[in-house]
Amino acid sequence: MNAIILSALGGIVMMFTGIFTQNKIVIKNIAIITLLLLLIGNLLHFYGIYMLHVDVKDMLQFNNFGLFFNTIAFTSTLIYFLLSGTDITKVGINVAEYFALIFFVLCGVSILTSFHNLLMLFLGIEILSIPLYILTGADKKNLKSNEAALKYFLMGSFSTGILLMGIALLYGASGNFSIESVPSTTSKVAEMANSSILTPLGLLFVFVALLFKVSAAPFHFWVPDVYDGAPSVFTSFMATIAKAVGFIAFIFLFESRIAELGPSSRIIIPFVIILTLLIGNITAVFQQSVKRMLAYSSIAQAGFMLFVLYSNNDISSEGILLYSVAYSFATIGIFAILIKMKDYTFEGYNGLAKKEPLIAAANTIFLLSLAGIPLTAGFFAKYYMLLSAIKANGQNALWLVIVAVLFAAVSVYYYFRVIQAMYFKEGNPEIATTNTSFKVILLALAAIIIFIGLFPTVVLNFLYF
Amino acid sequence: MHWLLLASDATNNSAYSYFPIGIQLIFAAGFVAFMIALSQWVGPKRKTNDKLQNFTSGIASHGDARQPMAIKYFLVAILFVLFDVEVIFFYPYAVNFRELGWAGFGAVVMFVSFFLLGFIYIIKKGALKWED
Repeated sequence: MNAIILSALGGIVMMFTGIFTQNKIVIKNIAIITLLLLLIGNLLHFYGIYMLHVDVKDMLQFNNFGLFFNTIAFTSTLIYFLLSGTDITKVGINVAEYFALIFFVLCGVSILTSFHNLLMLFLGIEILSIPLYILTGADKKNLKSNEAALKYFLMGSFSTGILLMGIALLYGASGNFSIESVPSTTSKVAEMANSSILTPLGLLFVFVALLFKVSAAPFHFWVPDVYDGAPSVFTSFMATIAKAVGFIAFIFLFESRIAELGPSSRIIIPFVIILTLLIGNITAVFQQSVKRMLAYSSIAQAGFMLFVLYSNNDISSEGILLYSVAYSFATIGIFAILIKMKDYTFEGYNGLAKKEPLIAAANTIFLLSLAGIPLTAGFFAKYYMLLSAIKANGQNALWLVIVAVLFAAVSVYYYFRVIQAMYFKEGNPEIATTNTSFKVILLALAAIIIFIGLFPTVVLNFLYF
Repeated sequence: MHWLLLASDATNNSAYSYFPIGIQLIFAAGFVAFMIALSQWVGPKRKTNDKLQNFTSGIASHGDARQPMAIKYFLVAILFVLFDVEVIFFYPYAVNFRELGWAGFGAVVMFVSFFLLGFIYIIKKGALKWED
């Protein structure tokens, strides 16, 4: 509850900051302080301290898992503000509004980590998406940004329509909006239709809409254009926090209901996983722009995160949290460096190690983590996801795990292309001037990633406080 | 039996109950058609070139409709819709005013104050400033 209230208030505070001051540094610092308060408010919830006692009529339920994901999302946003906050202020003239919209996205995140009702799921997804449509088009003078915003908006509203259709069918089957399957005796329609088709069909529609939101194949077509067209700072936010929360919504919704999707769920989920891994990884290989490569890599990473639906057990729940941390931290770091580059192609990185050895080293660690090389957080994230699949289905899951590992090997190719460009190619990369604090935070982030790679249980222990 | 029929049976209705509504529909459509036909048939006709031209709100149209319009028209329109919707929420509240008590009053005050904040925001941002 604290997180929902504080993030909404934080957004309003940022809106009004924009009226009273135009000073970019002041606005950025107010945003960071507000975010810190939000983080503290969320941590207080762990200890049972609430701002307001609101009767939510069981539409929201708060558990440690959701609160912990909130903490991850807010910490990632804090790192994102510290690293790229200055770049957010450079996108356009409405500086405070960009921060306000980010806070509203966080409000959507907090709802999606606690919903216990399909209406709240819808509300959360909308509060999450609408600010993102605006942020995508924030660079108003840029035609690509406009195109991306329009595409994202049209496709996003279409998927929302599918979500609503699914929710309507589920309501028809059970007569209520609860996410738990309560066979109702009050619903006339359910009685008549014997509810044999309504529930699986409704769940399938909701499933498709959520697949769209987490950019899994075959609903990934919007991702490359939107991620490429949006201002790089906001791509960073979109690809990390706004995406990872989609999986949390997935878990809450399908934890108890996945079987109701019918026997076809045993086919659909592995199919979606393999297709996502295939399209994400293979297409990323052919990209010339690092930004576009990261867009496809984010599709590929979604493939690994989708294992949470396949295995649906305790290890996968822990794994998705670890994956969110590893993926968000590394991607935010890579984007923070990408924003500073003048040329987004692989050639633009040529010889970066000579010019900026510290930044190149940090970038290498982030890329290694995304590729899942041992001693980085990304390794254990992938390990947990694959382990959960084996634990859930034993030998039957082995082929899926082998396929996933093969695709992880493919991903090494395009991540290492950046490393190769930085260290083994001659060139004079144009990079914006960076101050010392940027480098310090970047190295600290790299250190955190290695630390989590060495002691992954430290992160997970928070879950059992 | 078809489930729609079952559903109507359960509430003690039948298709026959809709018969008066059907008559009304036919009457309404028929009346409109009759009046239009009548005015065409009985009324005086004086066809001139001016009368056959397209016009909107009494102003003769000129040029293409697909030309850029000042954004402020859209801005005012969308803000009107936004604040108009606020009023809609008052009707159900007014009906349930007594039952909801002070908790409901608090909720509505919070809702209105959020709207007021939004209103202050758009005024301060100059969204309603007509002159450039």
